[in-house]
Amino acid sequence: MNTDIGQEARAALAPPRGFRDILPTEARELRAIERTLSEVFASYGYLPLDPPLLERGDAAGLVDPARLISFLDRDGTRVALRPDLTTAVARLVAQRYANAEGALRLSYFAPVFREEPAMLGAEREYDQAGVELVGPVGPLADAEALALLAESLACAGLHDQTVEVGHVGIMRSVFAGLGEEARARVLREFRDGDHVGAMRAARRFGMSGTALATAERVLRARGTRDLDALDVPGVDELRAVLALAREMFGGDWVVPNLALLPSLPYYTGVVFEALRPDLGFPIAAGGRYDGLLAAYGTARPAVGFAINVPRLHRALFETGWRPRHPRPLVVLEPAAPLATARCAARLRGVGLVVAIGAVAETASLPVVTVAVVDDEHVRGADGRTVGVDELARTLR
Amino acid sequence: MRPLRIALAQGALLADGLAALAAAGCAVGDAGVEGRRLLVRAGDVEIVRARPSDIATYVARGAADLGIVGKDVLMESGAQVLELVDLGFGACRFVVAAPRDALARALDDYRHLGSLEVATKYPNVAERHFRARGIAVEIIKVAGSTELAPQVGLSDWIVDLVATGGTLAANDLAIVEEIAPSTARLIANPAAYHTRRSEIAPLVEKLAAWAAARTVAAR
Repeated sequence: MNTDIGQEARAALAPPRGFRDILPTEARELRAIERTLSEVFASYGYLPLDPPLLERGDAAGLVDPARLISFLDRDGTRVALRPDLTTAVARLVAQRYANAEGALRLSYFAPVFREEPAMLGAEREYDQAGVELVGPVGPLADAEALALLAESLACAGLHDQTVEVGHVGIMRSVFAGLGEEARARVLREFRDGDHVGAMRAARRFGMSGTALATAERVLRARGTRDLDALDVPGVDELRAVLALAREMFGGDWVVPNLALLPSLPYYTGVVFEALRPDLGFPIAAGGRYDGLLAAYGTARPAVGFAINVPRLHRALFETGWRPRHPRPLVVLEPAAPLATARCAARLRGVGLVVAIGAVAETASLPVVTVAVVDDEHVRGADGRTVGVDELARTLR
Repeated sequence: MRPLRIALAQGALLADGLAALAAAGCAVGDAGVEGRRLLVRAGDVEIVRARPSDIATYVARGAADLGIVGKDVLMESGAQVLELVDLGFGACRFVVAAPRDALARALDDYRHLGSLEVATKYPNVAERHFRARGIAVEIIKVAGSTELAPQVGLSDWIVDLVATGGTLAANDLAIVEEIAPSTARLIANPAAYHTRRSEIAPLVEKLAAWAAARTVAAR
């Protein structure tokens, strides 16, 4: 029988542009990552939450409105698929925890939706995993976010990455001699990545030669020795943050790097990205944003980060990572229905993963095919008949 | 880890780009100017040659760590890269041009028809410019010979990149206004710039010094 539906019909079944189906092999790996990250987040006292998929389209967002996937609701209000979780958390904290005292530690693992330039093959939906620490300020809180990011990536199985840490406050102080408007202009050029344009603008706005030289030196500072050689406001605080972060999670993973200025304008203090030399994109990004909640009427400081899950997955995959100890899939060739049902139940009872009959999709799991002999026995590919308990022992 | 990879735009900027890298101590020789190999090893670095508009893409996505490309390409592509050094060569500018003596007619068209037709190879630069000026235009994307468009009635105006203005003059076009100047830039993938700073920083310093010395010499 020819069941081919034809090329045109198959094309019509594809999801909308920028969306895709995640099939079992990939989905299984993403679940493993989700499990690990959720456990690490929980170990620092972070509690999960699930904001809605739809947010108001006019909410004070962090994402360029042109990149929202938005449409009109039945009552005419504009709604948008949430473009990020930080904004959603800020909104819900302002609404539900306006009078809360003490720290809120919140975590999420959820998809976000953004319009991307389609020519780069980017997707419009991807998972973000992240945390927000709302309330506490100071080096201990900043260090907690850094250490939690480093520990999350390490537990997920990624090594050799660095968490590069900059500080928006230090960059602001370097250009403090300029007026507020001129400084905002210069910092925007830096956030857009245009160092040439930013320095040129600073010179045009009348910054002195010595101040420009200091700015150059700050921009070049990467690593502890460079940082120690700087004498600008804010460096001591950054040093304290890094020292505490190393105490919370050991190892040589944190690198001060003052040229790091994310494109998002809302950061006010430390900013950081998890980077690998062989990956052209950050795996995770975060920082302190003390002004964002004020936009919702509740001025509370906060620090947090978001891990780009597909990028983490890709980086893991390229290092040869696969989900740990997958239990093999026992494919059971059936005999008489009653014996097959009982045999499958016995096998599952001793902890095996059992599918009855030939399977079309194994999700890259190791597969062991055995045939039912009776309630308690199966025959392996080698023709040997073994008991249920023995099979479980050999496969464990 | 692979060697530091530098993407160079083929065409007008290639010779100057190679000269700049040689002056900065990269043993580029005549890396691939001749020959068909587009990825060549040159001393401690790899040199990639590609179309100018692809350089920004390579660097933005981390397929190359550094690149030398015109500011014009960066303005059109909007690629998220770091612009580290103005290398000074390859000077040109984006301009709006119209048939000589036809400015008054174009403005009259605009009053009656409400919109001007603008042919360009750079639709993003053109659209941003006219939107900032509050002028309604219809952008017509062409792949080349933009100067021809007004002569054959394809458009009222054009937005194009000019170095000397010779081609404009030869086609009876006059510059209406300048949008922005452009020169070659050293660009970097942000992640590579951060993680491979110890390799990139000396190169940036030498290229900046080289560019500064040339600017002084040109005065």
